[in-house]
Amino acid sequence: MAQEEEELVKTSPRGSPARRKRPAVPVWGESSAVIALYHSGVLADIAITLGILGFFYGLTQVSQEWTGILRPTVVIDLSLRSLPRYTFFSLIRGLAAYGVSLGFTIVYGYWAAKDRLAEKLLIPILDILQSIPVLGFMPGLVLALVSLFPASNTGLELACIVMIFTGQAWNMTFSFYNSLKSVPQYLQEAGTVYHFGWWQRLTQIEMPYSAVSLIWNSMMSMAGGWFFLMVTETFQLGSRDFRLPGIGSYMSVAVDSGDTKAMIGAVVAMILMIVALDQLLWHPLVVWAQKFRIEDTTQEEAMESSFLDLLRHSHILRGVGVIGASMLRTFRKSAVQAPPLSGAKGADNAASSDSAEHAQKHPVAGILISRLAFVLLAAGLVVALLQVVRLLASVSGAEWVHLVQSDLLTLARVTAALLLGTAWAVPLGIRIGLSPRLSRIMQPVVQVAASFPAPMLFPAVILILTSLNITIGVGSIVLMLLGTQWYILFNVIAGAQAIPSDLKEAAANYHFAPHQRFWSLYVPAVFPYLVTGWVTAAGGAWNASIVAETVTFRGSTLTARGIGAVISNAAFSARFGELSGAILIMALTVVLINRFVWRPLYTLASTRYNLSK
Amino acid sequence: MAEITTQQPVLLASDHITHLFPMPNGNMMTVLEDVSMDIRKGEIICIIGPSGCGKSTFLRILAGLIRPSRGKVLSRGKEMTGLTPGVAMVFQMFALFPWMTVSENIQSVLTAQRLPENEARRRVNSVIKMVGLEGFEEAYPREISGGMKQRVGIARALAVQPELLFMDEPFSAIDALTAESLRADVVDIWEEAEGQPASILMVSHDIKEVVYMADRIVIFSANPGRIRAVVPNNLPRPRDYRGADFLAMVDYLHDIITTNELPDVPPSVVSAPSQPVYEPLPPASSSDVVSFVEYLDSHGGQGDVFVLAHEFGKEFSELINIVKAAEMLGFIETPKQRTILTPLGKRFANMDTEEQKIVWKQQILTLNVFKTLYADVQASRNATMLDDEVQERLAQLLPNENPEFTFATLINWARFGNLLAFDEDSDEVTLQ
Repeated sequence: MAQEEEELVKTSPRGSPARRKRPAVPVWGESSAVIALYHSGVLADIAITLGILGFFYGLTQVSQEWTGILRPTVVIDLSLRSLPRYTFFSLIRGLAAYGVSLGFTIVYGYWAAKDRLAEKLLIPILDILQSIPVLGFMPGLVLALVSLFPASNTGLELACIVMIFTGQAWNMTFSFYNSLKSVPQYLQEAGTVYHFGWWQRLTQIEMPYSAVSLIWNSMMSMAGGWFFLMVTETFQLGSRDFRLPGIGSYMSVAVDSGDTKAMIGAVVAMILMIVALDQLLWHPLVVWAQKFRIEDTTQEEAMESSFLDLLRHSHILRGVGVIGASMLRTFRKSAVQAPPLSGAKGADNAASSDSAEHAQKHPVAGILISRLAFVLLAAGLVVALLQVVRLLASVSGAEWVHLVQSDLLTLARVTAALLLGTAWAVPLGIRIGLSPRLSRIMQPVVQVAASFPAPMLFPAVILILTSLNITIGVGSIVLMLLGTQWYILFNVIAGAQAIPSDLKEAAANYHFAPHQRFWSLYVPAVFPYLVTGWVTAAGGAWNASIVAETVTFRGSTLTARGIGAVISNAAFSARFGELSGAILIMALTVVLINRFVWRPLYTLASTRYNLSK
Repeated sequence: MAEITTQQPVLLASDHITHLFPMPNGNMMTVLEDVSMDIRKGEIICIIGPSGCGKSTFLRILAGLIRPSRGKVLSRGKEMTGLTPGVAMVFQMFALFPWMTVSENIQSVLTAQRLPENEARRRVNSVIKMVGLEGFEEAYPREISGGMKQRVGIARALAVQPELLFMDEPFSAIDALTAESLRADVVDIWEEAEGQPASILMVSHDIKEVVYMADRIVIFSANPGRIRAVVPNNLPRPRDYRGADFLAMVDYLHDIITTNELPDVPPSVVSAPSQPVYEPLPPASSSDVVSFVEYLDSHGGQGDVFVLAHEFGKEFSELINIVKAAEMLGFIETPKQRTILTPLGKRFANMDTEEQKIVWKQQILTLNVFKTLYADVQASRNATMLDDEVQERLAQLLPNENPEFTFATLINWARFGNLLAFDEDSDEVTLQ
């Protein structure tokens, strides 16, 4: 049934949603009213209407919260009843941040990919931004935005959204930029030879080509955005205590007051939110994006999403689709009938002009805009650089020594966390990946685990660690591990699933003993995936050090020596010189490790351990 | 339409086009050298040549996708700088947008032309009918076969009502039977098209295909790409693949191409007799050369290159490289388009692997490239050179060759001859 449905969806015309051909005689089991409703699309419409109404109610709540007067401290209600409201607030922040990230990604990625000059500046900037931990942006941002909106919560809300954005955007931007740069030459040539303008090129070639990886990266980035939720929704700056109602602040208050019931409630609510997002947003998107795959093969296993089917059956959405399509047609018609403007009158017209002379060159207006933005960016960069240099000048020599020592300690922890994660995730991941049944069960679980913000579990772990008399210096390794091991596991599972069956058959046929199979087939075969897992996990571990090396638990603060703790403390006590110094050291370490560890490993993975060659 | 030619106006011409391509080491490689030709109204021109002769690059230069290093593209006598107007292109790998249905793919190029929607829809329907795609309008490219995909590619090109249809090896990714019927369809469409397209320019490496399609056949030679010959083809249409005239034309082209590619006197020797000549290494693996020599020995010691290509299960352009390699190493001779085993080759074919390796080593050391590099490695510190150093040297010795490819062949041959060893992990080339 699923298979057949998939085909019907594929072959049905786009724009008019697929209407499933129903068998004339009802199949046994379909007599139940619910299913009949489902098939007729009525249930879909009811569900969608309720969903839309609920969402708008939530939004009115959000807008009240935003425009509400700035309170010195928000009192968080720890009763479970208020949890849905807080969860919704956090969800909206995450989605708003995602919207900003997406916009940023498209503009920035497009600019970097299209303008060779700007690219030389934009990509290194992105690389640096990526290695700056989220908390590094916090103090400056919060103070600036709060002072912009002194009367309402807007500034604080915006600050929170921007901080979530800094946890999401860079990864997506890199992915989009890479996609744009790797559009196959034959597709580009087809676009050029048939006189596609820049807009048609973007919407019909470049965006579709990038869609699959952009959606996958969006899922990952959204998870990254949740990581610091507890920090971004509640933080102290010097003597000021900023707090926003949300699931993150709910959790921190619950931890502070030792309310176990509330803590468990928050964890459950968070899991539910992640699962709901996955089921209602990401999974349908991934299934929908299948049509943008570039490989010419029909896929082996049809993907399906029942929520997407629900949407496809909805009368309401179909109606919206029809209206939208006709509006678009009218718009296009008027665009066609409009007399062609001369190139000087508008950027858009110059860009889509199909005169042969312009087709290969960039539109003049586009170049002007790009150059202007480039100059502004470069100027801003110089100003920022001067500021940072001024801040760094205030750091003394002894402090630098201390920073480097702390950095090395954290490096040791990150390495330990990666080794521990690898030690258990590789055997288990291979075991899961080799069994289709286990993969089917475990993959979604691992995905949720990876998206879950690990700091919410820190209190429970600290409890266990203190009872075992483990210090925070060592214990923080466990805390880092908690957030990052999933990336390793996730990638190893994917790698094990992709081991070619002929190699497995050969190993079986020649009676490889289990350990030989493991070392001479499984490990080399998953190696490229393992490297990807390591890189993601290492990035996560550095980021996690900020919250793992200094933990507040039942009113007392446990602090380990390390660069993460330095950043965290400097940020909260607004010591900007130390903060910039610490971030500089950490970013440098990350960049050096990328250059001298991960890049060679990537090269090795793509040459010696490449199974597709 | 076979009687056209000289009276018809020239639609598009290339005027002394030379194209250089920068190589990774900074040298320039000459892809095309001084290519001048014209396309007249109402003719099908096919360009044929071995791989690497720049024929696809030339097509892209004429289409305005690539700007030539020197020379001009003239459209109706006017010099072009951007895209050439009135050109539609059919691509070797189809270049369909996988996220659009068949009709959306065709529609997209009409959107780019800003055609009103009604007109566009009418045009889509008419080209779909023209190429026989009815019923597949809403299929996605991945759901249809290669032949069907190329029909979409052709329909998309026809939809813009081009004056010139460019085809870049359009049938090479399609099975032989389907390709045959598509060729016939393209010729039919062109004969009935009333000027849309007026002329077709096709790039190909298949001699039969070229004889079937073309009014004029332009033969390119490689390294650098140059026009070797232009052969008018006045066989009446429809043409029969098995007709005597047809086969005679195929043989005639074979002759021209083999004399070009396997000249009886190597051109390099003629050009510079006084100083050592560095021979470009054809990209053929040692194992292919050995099995070719052994194959020849077990099949009477000689054979026709084209027949051999078929029997040996290789593309003609691939086999040419193997033959060149075997000839450089003194195992065969190639008078005209025949290959004949030399006495050395005969002995070589009957040796065991150990002996073969010894002879192979002797023979590659007769080549100046190997002599020089062997000496270089011996002279270097610890008798070790890095991958990059060797490639740099190769770029000096053979400035017109891609050093990366030459390096791969060099290592392959040297490994078989136990001359040099290469460690991929350390990038070191050492003495064996």
